[in-house]
Amino acid sequence: MNAPARPIPPAPGLFASAIRIFDLSLGQMLWSRRSVFLGLLLGGPVVLAVVLRIVDTLHASGFRVNGAAVNGGTVFGMMIWLLFIRFIVPVLGVFYGTSLIADEVEDKTITYLFTRPIPRSAVLLGKYIAYLVCTVLLVLPSVMLVFFLIVPTAGGSVAAAFPGLAADLGMLVVGLASYGAVFALVGTRLKRPLVAGLVFAFGWEPAVLLFPGYLKRLTVAYYMQALVTHEMPQDSSVSMLLQIFHEVPSVTVSLLALGAIVGVALWLAGRSVERREYVLEQ
Amino acid sequence: MPDLVIADHLSKWYGQVIGLNDVSVTVPAGITGLLGPNGAGKSTFMKLITGQLKPSKGGITVLGEPIWQNPGLYNRIGFCPEQDAFYERMTGREWVTALVRLNGVSDTEAAAMAARAIEDVELTEAADKKIGAYSKGMRQRIKMAQALAHNPELLILDEPLSGMDPIARRKAIRMIKDWGRAGKGVIVSSHILHEIESMTANILLINQGRILAEGNVHQIRDLIDEHPHTVHIRAEQTRALAREFLGHDDVLSLKFEEGAVVVQTGRPDAFYARLTDLAASGAHGAIHEVTSPDDNLQAVFQYLVKS
Repeated sequence: MNAPARPIPPAPGLFASAIRIFDLSLGQMLWSRRSVFLGLLLGGPVVLAVVLRIVDTLHASGFRVNGAAVNGGTVFGMMIWLLFIRFIVPVLGVFYGTSLIADEVEDKTITYLFTRPIPRSAVLLGKYIAYLVCTVLLVLPSVMLVFFLIVPTAGGSVAAAFPGLAADLGMLVVGLASYGAVFALVGTRLKRPLVAGLVFAFGWEPAVLLFPGYLKRLTVAYYMQALVTHEMPQDSSVSMLLQIFHEVPSVTVSLLALGAIVGVALWLAGRSVERREYVLEQ
Repeated sequence: MPDLVIADHLSKWYGQVIGLNDVSVTVPAGITGLLGPNGAGKSTFMKLITGQLKPSKGGITVLGEPIWQNPGLYNRIGFCPEQDAFYERMTGREWVTALVRLNGVSDTEAAAMAARAIEDVELTEAADKKIGAYSKGMRQRIKMAQALAHNPELLILDEPLSGMDPIARRKAIRMIKDWGRAGKGVIVSSHILHEIESMTANILLINQGRILAEGNVHQIRDLIDEHPHTVHIRAEQTRALAREFLGHDDVLSLKFEEGAVVVQTGRPDAFYARLTDLAASGAHGAIHEVTSPDDNLQAVFQYLVKS
């Protein structure tokens, strides 16, 4: 109680504070009910991969997509794009990103963080980094299992596909970072961020990607397309039609755009947290 | 030491609802009690002086500086909020250490500061247990530990004794008084006068968003004593306690609730002193929690406003 007076340390800077918030938050995030639920969701692709592997083992007739024969590497590429990038990554982004600050407000623990000598935006940044690490730790085992179950089937080669796996994992991290930042912004600005996030990911993005024009540039998925390294089978008439409108930016442009999206979204979200009053329910 | 808080025509609205209405007050150095019934504006005042809320009108300075959007000032302030909210999966030690680290100290220093604060609140034995397994009194104490760990100049405590058992309550009061004697500023809120009075004679009375009186208000105490005071006691042997209570004149009535006995007393000071002794002796089993609804205080405030 009667501790001697000590010199007041300088308030830690934004990044030093963010790392300390990250340390505090990662364990909470990893062992939350949300992570358990989304971990189960990530079991879905693994179950699908097991089924495909069993089918391939029993029938040995290979896989056909839109009438074209494809090997295990192509099926894995389709699963990465359709299941992970277009579904699981946005779902993880929505559920974690929108709740970075909201969870602390709902649990009424935000007071402990906002009454410490750190910028409020460091709380958001630290929790965002924790989200990124947490989701990568959730996604990684699922992708690795799917890779080793699917790629060797139908004439595919693990050795040949392995360098592509690194690119896929990098793409997933970029996707998680981008969607997480966008939904962190949504979470700090809107009253019903989860609904708005789901509408953005599963309403707005798929809709505008179908049409020509500039609107698709207001999506994350448009830039993510350029990072896909796998060839997709394009034999159906619908696919051919979509190809007419299909325009994909270069990898460099996509990476720069996604970097800008992450930077701007986090800056705006941090600004919002700095200025907003959080009135906790009594 | 300069004044702890200076509020100048301070108002706070939540939409159409007034939380605090044109309050001008100076809180001097030492221990000051903020007393008022629930909904009086205590929590709003606490949130304004801890920079969680921005004033709608007027200004506020804490330790001579504006508090809103001034995070550097939190190195000089320790805040123990009212809400019973924690990271339940962390141990008390992990939690306090993690929060002190946010004050910019090294990991080693943070661990030492947390250990010292936990010792101050007498929780060393339970420091490595998960907070989720703590009793209400332990949770209150670990909350106080995180507030005082970085040795702040000003300690702001929002209903710190709520839910504590009589012995923990007595220890907490002693600790707060020690803190004041050590030259630190303390602002402590409660809706129970005798709690505040046991720590300080310097009281701010707040009701309906306004400061009704400030300073040494002994006459208020007499007024409150005229009204029956309700105490809710959660204990192991409620019937044995009830028999003990009935032997004293100041107990006006009592009733049983699930695992608890609810007593109305005409002399809260005498009653609480006896209750603390009973808890310490353990003669009638463990007393887990003591709370007091604010109905009686609300009645006194209504009387004050009318008169």
